[in-house]
Amino acid sequence: MTPSLEKLIWRVLPAVPAVVVVVAWAIYWQIERPPPSIIPSVADVVVTLFEQTLSGELLTDIAASVGRLLLGAAFGIATGVAAGFVAGLHRPVSEFLNPLVIFFNAISGIVWLPLVIGWLGVGSALATFLIWNTVFFIVFQNTVLGVQLVPEVLEQGVRTLGAGRWETIRSVTLPGALPYILTGIRSGLGFGWRALIAAELVGANTGLGHLIFSGAEYHRADIIIGGCLTIGVIATAMDRWLLLPIERRTVRRWGMITDAQGR
Amino acid sequence: MQADKITVTGFRHFFKTEGGDVQATGSIDIAIRPGEFVTLVGPSGCGKTTLLKAIAGFITPTEGTILCDGKPVRGPGRDRGVVFQELAILPWRTVRRNIGHGLEIARVPKAERDRAVARLIDLMGLAGFEDRYPHELSGGMRQRVAVARTWAADPEIILMDEPFAAVDAMTRLTLQEELGRLCATTRKTVFFITHSVEEAVFLADRVLVMTKRPGTIKAVLDVPRHDAGGRDWDSFTSDPEMRAIAEQVMHLVHAERVA
Ligand SMILES: Nc1ncnc2c1ncn2[C@@H]1O[C@H](COP(=O)(O)OP(=O)(O)OP(=O)(O)O)[C@@H](O)[C@H]1O
Ligand SMILES: [Mg+2]
Repeated sequence: MTPSLEKLIWRVLPAVPAVVVVVAWAIYWQIERPPPSIIPSVADVVVTLFEQTLSGELLTDIAASVGRLLLGAAFGIATGVAAGFVAGLHRPVSEFLNPLVIFFNAISGIVWLPLVIGWLGVGSALATFLIWNTVFFIVFQNTVLGVQLVPEVLEQGVRTLGAGRWETIRSVTLPGALPYILTGIRSGLGFGWRALIAAELVGANTGLGHLIFSGAEYHRADIIIGGCLTIGVIATAMDRWLLLPIERRTVRRWGMITDAQGR
Repeated sequence: MQADKITVTGFRHFFKTEGGDVQATGSIDIAIRPGEFVTLVGPSGCGKTTLLKAIAGFITPTEGTILCDGKPVRGPGRDRGVVFQELAILPWRTVRRNIGHGLEIARVPKAERDRAVARLIDLMGLAGFEDRYPHELSGGMRQRVAVARTWAADPEIILMDEPFAAVDAMTRLTLQEELGRLCATTRKTVFFITHSVEEAVFLADRVLVMTKRPGTIKAVLDVPRHDAGGRDWDSFTSDPEMRAIAEQVMHLVHAERVA
């Protein structure tokens, strides 16, 4: 097999399971004809998505959701990386923070929802808080680990070149911890989506979570499934076109992550 | 009589571990003069790296004092360049940017930095690999980048911990000759750890031999220098005086073999 053909196949392969599921769903629906309020037909979902797109409703909801996600994630990443660095570099700080982090991590996510609705009301602030609350812990813990795992000899090396504390952090600790930070951001975003949708289900008047919730109210399974598909597609796209390129240009380029086959 | 560049007095070091203290070295006294090339040989685990890291400022001695230019060592500094036993160049910097890092930190203008780096790249036989990342190089090439990086920062003292251990035999001969020549012309003070007796004698003004752990200095051998520049292997191997010294060091080292 030629390398370029093999490459093409690997690019297309991830789409295969999705196609299989859709085809199976279509066939099942043709044979069984279940009530559309329980399982809609493929065509129903496509038509609904199309109508929502035309009316602009879908785009508004996507914009609201993605906006909240990015805002909450940006806060979560910034605070998580900063706190992770401080804790990773100073033993006493990490020992002080550890119990706190474990305590609040256990009750992070939608557990806060009933309480925070009272504090922040319904809307973007609520969703942003819940996303921050999810992303922060994942990014924090990965950053601490990443900082602590940077080989000491690399830091010692640049210090003998005359680097001070900041130069050492900038040129050694930060890039050295990057594989873990990126992993934290990737999984943080994944969990961030969950927090977002959970927040929007009850605590928002716009967004994909709200869209799905309204679909449930009217027993419109086509709206629910259409919403779920939209979430999944956007999350996948963000990972592929936002995070993967960063990873490819940094930690992969530097040989810090390698595929088993060295591809 | 010039003042000593490096003075180690009554150095002893213990590592604190979960299982109790580990004595890394016995009591060590060393004085290295400015511009002197001192090599250190000794069995594995005898405390060579510990001593070097203490001079570099990364280990605070349990006992004893270390002076550089008469001042106590309090931490690492750019006056003491180090080539570590483990590879310490940065995976996220290209060969060029690794070698130029010290100059970058010293805020040397880019044009000047590029000239210095280009010269070292030629010298180390790294031409054509300037924009490669370390993971794209062979082990020996990486080690050469590490030597070049330390050299580029132009420290007065260079501490090297088995810098050529991973370099192939052919390249090693060239690098040893180059290093000897460079040090002789630039009058740098060098403290060089090696496992190779030949290398130790070839490069040195003075060879120190250590006992096994906890290591102390067992013998000091002067290696006379007949030429102002560095040595070359051809005349070294045919010089009976050098052969005799190498043989002597070999005997001393063999007696310390870890059974
Ligand atoms: N960080 C450490 N913690 C505990 N013990 C250590 C530590 N570093 C070194 N040692 C111990 O101190 C002794 C001397 O170590 P050192 O690295 O100085 O040896 P070395 O002479 O450089 O050996 P080699 O030639 O194998 O590099 C060894 O017995 C080692 O086990
Ligand atoms: Mg060693």
